[in-house]
Amino acid sequence: MFRILSRRTLTGVAALAATGLALTGCGGGGNEPAALDTEEQITLNYTFWGNDDRAARYDKAIEAFEAKFPNITINDTFTDYPSYWEKRQTEAAGGGLPDVMQFDYTYLRQYGDNGLLLNLEEYFGNGITTDAIEESLLATGKLEDGTFAIPTGYSAWSVFQNPGLLADTGVEPYAGGTSWEEYNTYMASVTDATGGTVYGGTDTTQRIQDLELKLRQDGRQLFTEEGELNFTQEELADHWKEGEANRDKVTVPQSKLEEISPVSGFGANLTTSEMSWSNFLGGYLGDSGAEEITIVAPPTSNPDEKDLYRKVGLMQAASASTEHPEAAAAFVDFLINSPEVGGIFGATLGIPASETQLEGADLQGPDKAVQDYLDSISDRLGEAPAAPVAGFGAIEQTFWDLGKSIGLGTVTPEEAAKQFFDEAAVTLGS
Amino acid sequence: MTTDSAHAPSTQRSAESGAHPAGSRRAGASRPRRPRNRDSLAGYVFLSPWLLGFIGLTLGPMLASLYLAFTDYNLFTAPEWTGLENLGRMAEDEKFWGSVRITLIYVLVGTPIKLAAALAVAMLLNYKAKGTGFFRSAFYAPSLIGASVSIAIVWRAMFSTDGPVDGTLNLFGINLGGWIGNPSLIMPMMILLAVWQFGAPMVIFLAGLKGVPAELYEAASVDGARAWRKFLSVTVPMLSPVIFFNLLLEMINAFQVFASAYIIGSGTGGPGGATNFYTVYLYTRAFANNQMGYASAMAWVLLLAVGVLALILFRTSRSWVHYAGDSK
Repeated sequence: MFRILSRRTLTGVAALAATGLALTGCGGGGNEPAALDTEEQITLNYTFWGNDDRAARYDKAIEAFEAKFPNITINDTFTDYPSYWEKRQTEAAGGGLPDVMQFDYTYLRQYGDNGLLLNLEEYFGNGITTDAIEESLLATGKLEDGTFAIPTGYSAWSVFQNPGLLADTGVEPYAGGTSWEEYNTYMASVTDATGGTVYGGTDTTQRIQDLELKLRQDGRQLFTEEGELNFTQEELADHWKEGEANRDKVTVPQSKLEEISPVSGFGANLTTSEMSWSNFLGGYLGDSGAEEITIVAPPTSNPDEKDLYRKVGLMQAASASTEHPEAAAAFVDFLINSPEVGGIFGATLGIPASETQLEGADLQGPDKAVQDYLDSISDRLGEAPAAPVAGFGAIEQTFWDLGKSIGLGTVTPEEAAKQFFDEAAVTLGS
Repeated sequence: MTTDSAHAPSTQRSAESGAHPAGSRRAGASRPRRPRNRDSLAGYVFLSPWLLGFIGLTLGPMLASLYLAFTDYNLFTAPEWTGLENLGRMAEDEKFWGSVRITLIYVLVGTPIKLAAALAVAMLLNYKAKGTGFFRSAFYAPSLIGASVSIAIVWRAMFSTDGPVDGTLNLFGINLGGWIGNPSLIMPMMILLAVWQFGAPMVIFLAGLKGVPAELYEAASVDGARAWRKFLSVTVPMLSPVIFFNLLLEMINAFQVFASAYIIGSGTGGPGGATNFYTVYLYTRAFANNQMGYASAMAWVLLLAVGVLALILFRTSRSWVHYAGDSK
């Protein structure tokens, strides 16, 4: 038995194991267009990112669509946001994008400019109704060659608070729209009051939106008109350094956030406040199980500056390679305009962009709160930045990863700023 | 781990071929080959499904990635030839070197510990006692499921703050907190997860141990050797081909750690890049940053690096691996 292995067997095994290292690609598939025939059985693939709460809403919306079009079946899948784009990227390279997709403004240029998305403009007035969508919102899906996505709605950056959690601490809620000092004091009071079981908030310098907010409060933008970074490496390092005092003993430690990822600190009831896009309200309610979540304006260093903007985020788009473009257009139209879908989603995909859907949404409770919030900040709403540069998705993620690493103490703000600029040079240069 | 279990039967087959008279291997190597032999044609016909798969799914993509390694390719537009630029970038990429460092620590620390655990347990199970069959299966089981996503999720939960591990350590007055969010504790946890899957090398060690002739131990006992001396002078030399085999396979496997690192680090190499293993970083470059060219170059650097390490192992093996039947 001790002779079981000869040198040659070993060489062979080593060679086999080595080939196992090879990367494999993925195959594509051709297709031909087919007319929308009411008799024909059509199956469309649909995919979105989100949590269980959103999935349940989509299930209902798809049920309603299938009742209206009995010959169309929708196969839906969902994942979290980062892996969503990793999957789409692979499919894009292999020519196998799903027929219809929940889309993001961030990636519009990358996909639309490369001919991967269906030009929805061809179906305007002929499958897709656009009358109820405000011109400026509809235009966000427009690139040089056509309109490749339609926004479901819009949102704005905001501060969320959990009144139930806050009540136990005895700290007064943050009023919103005041100075950064006041917000910092609020966060510190909460953390002090609980002795560190519940924190006042999450590091307010971690995400690229945090930097954008501060830049806009100084009357500046994140990117120049040429699509280059509109801040210096030193400014970025300073931005991250500003969060130091809070990271030390006020905001929730990054090590705890790593453990609960992909749920956020606020979603996991570890913090009483968090800054994010206003359409996160539904997701937060689902994640935290809180009875009520309130929403107020972010702090500002310059109350006269129009630092906030209506952000188009979620969109619906179809693949250029879909075999059933008419059916895909019909589904997009349904998701965008149907009052029924409005009723199902409320404001969780943003305040509906389509008037008919907004009416159907009959916003109440938390959704009403989002709409009231957007109304309340109308004075601070300025012009939205230009469509994100190609590769913005990767830049945004790199920023966040570095922000987290600073929180863990594995890099200094200076090192992180250098890494960010090195990375951005590659991404924006290509 | 499936590669390991797939190899287990192949050792059995070699055992059968080992029944041929000694020296036939050398004779076989010098026999002139006749490619037009009808037997070999039939052989290739039977091999054709595998050959097609190998060419279409392995060789083709490998060649494609070799080409992409010298290009800038973002998945959306056609690859652009950039020559050695990717390698130059790699040399200056701090995150790349960080991932190399992490992966080497994992391979160089994790693999020996795993093999030591496998050998120790194999020696225990080699004693004839009641229930060894049960224990053999019980110890083998983790290596079947260890690389799965669900196990990574369970380990994530176990090593979180106030999770079972933290709770148990607290009982003994050790307050480390959660391991998952701690950049300095995540590597020990990853190594533990790897060591826990020692079942596959253990089974191969066990087969090797059963093949060590009892008379060698008896002779050693007569000469007055104690357990430790017998281990060093009988078990280790007789087992050296098996140790070499396991070392090689486990090393190559360890370089390829991905699923557990991806899940435990939330896919971003977190916390703070501490789980940014080579393969995770390669994946991030390819699918999160759309830098397929750079990722392909990384894949080839890994392949060459593992190849060189395997070659070094083969070279050094001449001085410490003892093949029965060799003249030394």
